Amino acid sequence: MSEPTKIRATVKGSDGEVRILIPHVMESGLRRDPSGQLLAAHYITSLILSLNGRPVIESALGTAVSANPLFAFQLQGIKVGDKLSVAWLDSKGQKGGAEASFSAA
Amino acid sequence: MHRRDFLQAFGSATALAPLVVAGLLSPGAALAVSFNRAAFDAKTAADALRLIGAASAEASRDILLKAPEVAENGAAVPIEVVSSIPGTTRLSVLIDKNPLPLALQFNFAPEAAARFQAKLRMAESSRLRVVAMAGGKHYTVFREVKVTVGGCGD
Repeated sequence: MSEPTKIRATVKGSDGEVRILIPHVMESGLRRDPSGQLLAAHYITSLILSLNGRPVIESALGTAVSANPLFAFQLQGIKVGDKLSVAWLDSKGQKGGAEASFSAA
Repeated sequence: MHRRDFLQAFGSATALAPLVVAGLLSPGAALAVSFNRAAFDAKTAADALRLIGAASAEASRDILLKAPEVAENGAAVPIEVVSSIPGTTRLSVLIDKNPLPLALQFNFAPEAAARFQAKLRMAESSRLRVVAMAGGKHYTVFREVKVTVGGCGD
């Protein structure tokens, strides 16, 4: 988790396009290492997007989300300069996130 | 979009991350409806559907589910979901044949369009299901996706 969460937030008209990339192993707990030992589960369980400090998208994630998850969302009524923040929590209690301002597309 | 393009386009623009995290992740604090985490432990799609309250979801043509017909790499199957059902507040995705079928759920406030893109792991060829919740009712659509190399096991 050394690499930071990345956000791209752009505005077109009044639509805000958001792309989020979270470097994370997203280990499902169902895979085995070469010696046959199960690899411990370690995956993001929740993700929250906030617009100007107010939560707008909230999610619960399971083990079927790919490694280094990439998500795209659309927000409405957005202006350049509006602030978007992303926060996540994983199954080991580790947290991460990022913040960005919407810019013109 | 390819991950490489994303990285090139945005570099390390957001190194200020840790500041925003602290206050935001108290469970249930955000939007009105909380998640039933037990549904993520369900081992069959039927159980997961029951646990998210969608056992009797009604088929709908107003949910778009874009997914490849054949996915070469089950470790990262790109999907796009758009609900045109007015008042959609939640979208859930299930992969019937995964060991744990419920993949993810999103709750949307009115400022957010009921749509998203994500990449999912599929253990094998399976039915992919989306459930939209709107006005307390559940609607569903599904597609079959053929996976040539599975993404869950070894």
